[in-house]
Amino acid sequence: MNHAQLDVELCGRLADACGPSLRLTIPENGLPVTAMLASLACAYPAVSEALGRIRIKACINETIVSEEAVVRPGDTVALFPPVSGG
Amino acid sequence: MQVELAQASFDPALRLSDFTAALGDEGAVVSFTGRARGQSRGGGPVSTLVLESYRGVTLQSMQAIAGDAHRMFAITASLVIHRAGRIVPGEAIVFVATASRHRRAAFEAADYLMDRLKTEAVFWKREEHGGSSTWIEPTAKDREDAMRWHERKE
Repeated sequence: MNHAQLDVELCGRLADACGPSLRLTIPENGLPVTAMLASLACAYPAVSEALGRIRIKACINETIVSEEAVVRPGDTVALFPPVSGG
Repeated sequence: MQVELAQASFDPALRLSDFTAALGDEGAVVSFTGRARGQSRGGGPVSTLVLESYRGVTLQSMQAIAGDAHRMFAITASLVIHRAGRIVPGEAIVFVATASRHRRAAFEAADYLMDRLKTEAVFWKREEHGGSSTWIEPTAKDREDAMRWHERKE
């Protein structure tokens, strides 16, 4: 299976451990959000604790999506910790 | 309905003046300005408040809240401005203005807008003090205030 690179933006406190953007290798036909989170935790142990502890929402192309949504190469992907509000 | 995400400081008095000047025969105008405080909830000094937003999603979340206010209350106009970026104590963080024929709708809509912006708008907020910083989350009271409107909608 071919693979592609995906940059995942980390918002708020999620960026504390490893910075605001992490690069991940994903299958060319994409993968569900839950699998992406597992891959991130595996590739970046420093953020895995936060990913496991905080309720995360994924955002694909500026839309907040469910955990079943599929992330594909070329998508603009971000992970949101709970918002602070204004 | 006008909703803005401001990256630089703004003058709430000027924006209220412009908002009011554009109205028709409305009998009521209500506004609220939230300002950055120089003291944290714990009492320590805050040098800067940093509000992180995310691309178009933050503005969309503000627009959704303003749209709900127009559906729930008999207001004829609204203006919502929220700062992002680095804010020093004394600067305005948020401004809402509402207008209606009679006062109740304008009062309630402004209250509703603030309660929801405080808990649901897509921002991540941290206070900087000295060389360190602390992430801020809505308080139990903020969530309780926002819940009042859920109960009312049902």
